[in-house]
Amino acid sequence: MSEDRVPVVADGAWTDDVDEEEGVVVNWFAKEGRRVTAGESLCEVQVEKVSVDIAAPTDGELVEIVRDENAEFTIGDTLAWIEPGE
Amino acid sequence: MPSEERLRALYTDMVTARYYEERLQEEYLEGKQPAFDISAGPIPGELHLAAGQEAAAVGVCHHLRDDDVVTAPHRPHHVAIAKGVDLKRMTAEIFGRETGLCSGKGGHMHLFDPDVNFACSGIIAEGCPPAVGAGLAAKKRNTDSVAVAYLGEGAVDQGGFFESLNLAAVHDLPVVFVVEDNDWAISMPQERVTDVENAATRAEGFDMVGARVDRDDAVAVYEAAAEAVGRARDQNGPTVLSVQVHRRMGHFMGDPQSYRSDEDQEAALDRDSIERMEAHLRDHGLAEDELDAIRTEAHERVDDAIAWAKDQPKPDPESAYEHVFTNPPSGVTDTEPDFDLAETGGESE
Amino acid sequence: MTVDRELTMSRAIVEAIGSEMRENEEVFYMGEDVADYGGIFDSTQGLLEEFGYDRIMDVPISETAYLGAAVGAAQQGMRPIAELMFVDFFGVAMDQIYNQMAKNTYMSGGSVSVPMVMTTAVGGTYSDAAQHSQTLYGTFAHLPGMKVVVPSTAYDAKGLMHNAIRDDDPVVYMYHKRLMGLGWLPAPPGPKTPVPEEDYTIPFGRADVKREGADVTVVTLGLHVHRALDAAESLAADGVDVEVIDLRTLVPLDRETVVESVRKTGRLVVVDEDYRSFGLSGEIVSTVADEALDSLAAVERVAMPDVPIPYARELEGEVLPGTDDIEAAVRNVR
Repeated sequence: MSEDRVPVVADGAWTDDVDEEEGVVVNWFAKEGRRVTAGESLCEVQVEKVSVDIAAPTDGELVEIVRDENAEFTIGDTLAWIEPGE
Repeated sequence: MPSEERLRALYTDMVTARYYEERLQEEYLEGKQPAFDISAGPIPGELHLAAGQEAAAVGVCHHLRDDDVVTAPHRPHHVAIAKGVDLKRMTAEIFGRETGLCSGKGGHMHLFDPDVNFACSGIIAEGCPPAVGAGLAAKKRNTDSVAVAYLGEGAVDQGGFFESLNLAAVHDLPVVFVVEDNDWAISMPQERVTDVENAATRAEGFDMVGARVDRDDAVAVYEAAAEAVGRARDQNGPTVLSVQVHRRMGHFMGDPQSYRSDEDQEAALDRDSIERMEAHLRDHGLAEDELDAIRTEAHERVDDAIAWAKDQPKPDPESAYEHVFTNPPSGVTDTEPDFDLAETGGESE
Repeated sequence: MTVDRELTMSRAIVEAIGSEMRENEEVFYMGEDVADYGGIFDSTQGLLEEFGYDRIMDVPISETAYLGAAVGAAQQGMRPIAELMFVDFFGVAMDQIYNQMAKNTYMSGGSVSVPMVMTTAVGGTYSDAAQHSQTLYGTFAHLPGMKVVVPSTAYDAKGLMHNAIRDDDPVVYMYHKRLMGLGWLPAPPGPKTPVPEEDYTIPFGRADVKREGADVTVVTLGLHVHRALDAAESLAADGVDVEVIDLRTLVPLDRETVVESVRKTGRLVVVDEDYRSFGLSGEIVSTVADEALDSLAAVERVAMPDVPIPYARELEGEVLPGTDDIEAAVRNVR
């Protein structure tokens, strides 16, 4: 496991709208192996009835999806890993 | 009081419309007698004539420009004339000819003249929502054009009318709803179908301005409409304008009007808005021969239009298949794009 | 360059609408709960922020008024997109839809155009019962004067929406709720596809062969494209090679692609989530009967029966065509 890898984290940006700490991954918009850009919507998660997009924190390659569609998670969980780079 | 020039213009359109309906009645009944056969004669189908309702048409339409939009119901000819619709082509359409406004496809209940933004339709209150839409377009484009929806007093019980008032009110749209109150919805007298005295009262329930003209008098309508149309043009919102008129003929041609007492029918003939207009003109100093001249010219115009229309070619049956769509059926494009899509449910051509 | 960015069908639709609205300020969207809410089925999700309340317009519960207003605005040259929240609600406003929107061009002899789109959500599978689960493909395709499109994937959805907005005719754009990719109504695999970032249009009247095959022709649309593809995969294991045709548009209808396929396979299965009798599936079968009767060895329709759609899961499951129903039909016609 490379120490350079950057996690895509379910960071709890939704806590303005709901109190929930848990959610479900609804849709992934990129597959493993794909190049992604910082700020790009990588996946959609649902917390209660609120839908939130999780963006790529950096440019790079989406090397591993940890929580796939329909997987549950809690705030702070890593959903995927990005190998940063041009 | 409008200027003399305006009074003459109002009178001209009124006598044109009245004579037009009388002449159409003659043409329509041709070939349909002795036993009334609705599909026979030079004007087949239904015909709804507006003799007696001229004041409602001219009083409002004489405030309108070509870019103002008017929708009318199944009794439209007087409104069309007042709006400046091409009389020859409208007549040709009523006679079902190829060079009619709609190439013979619409007929008397579905007349469209986009040059002056006039359209009529055959379902009760159906013209109200599109008029609201035209008002919406004017507001979005920030122009000062207005939309006018005509309807009968029976139509105010239709759901589409209520919805249209609400939508116009909540969005403050430049629309005037002109209710031609001739007391009769086919055979239903107004008081048997509605508890509310007249449509103007209903406007209050929508937080809208309602105005009522009780006299079947084109000048009274013209003055009330000045306010309503002005309100819309100033972008101050919609109005319901209820206008008392009198239907001189049956609901449709062939209607024996057995539901209507003789007194009621005669009374309608008595309250002639055209006679009232002539009185206004005489007050302004016009002499009989001037009134005659206006009438004669109007009658000639109508006779010419009818003669022209009857001379027009009938449509080619093959043309029945045309004009369903504006764009060829494939929309704006015929070709598939050519992308290299990654695997997974996406298709590639 | 391979396109590998995937979108859900709702996001693809939104992307097309947003792009057209940026291009042309006369395009606007009106419907119930389309502004702050972003559409009950996410049809306008995120657009309010960019375009504001004026162009993403919430309307009162007045289908007759606002659908009719869309007709009026369109006749003045604007390009409204008006949403009928559930296709099942057409009843309250059908006059404006089929008597004005669809007919004004014809009745005026072509002098008037109605360049509007009516978007609407269709379909069942989630127990919304008889008044909220219909597709009504046949009803809208049957009445003359309106184009009807039914996307089954995100890729198709975006291209068809661009075409619908640019078209000068009224287009009824029917999106299946189960395909939109909503969190609370998850989509099966299939509708989420790679979608190009740039604008593109997909022609109307062009069906798409989603899976080529030699043995049996399955003609379908919407949700059942994916159920048919699932069935085809199962059947392939048994050596049955199924061709799946996605109609994509109903008006105009691509009869040619269907006929060509049946000439090849001789066997036809039509899968339709609309009521069986007097509708879409009958139209496909009769098209083949009209044009390629000699090629047709066997035919079967898999469609909703002529019953109102029931509520209980077991009952809805019984009436709504499933993957196994499609498989069984394919086996029957061989």
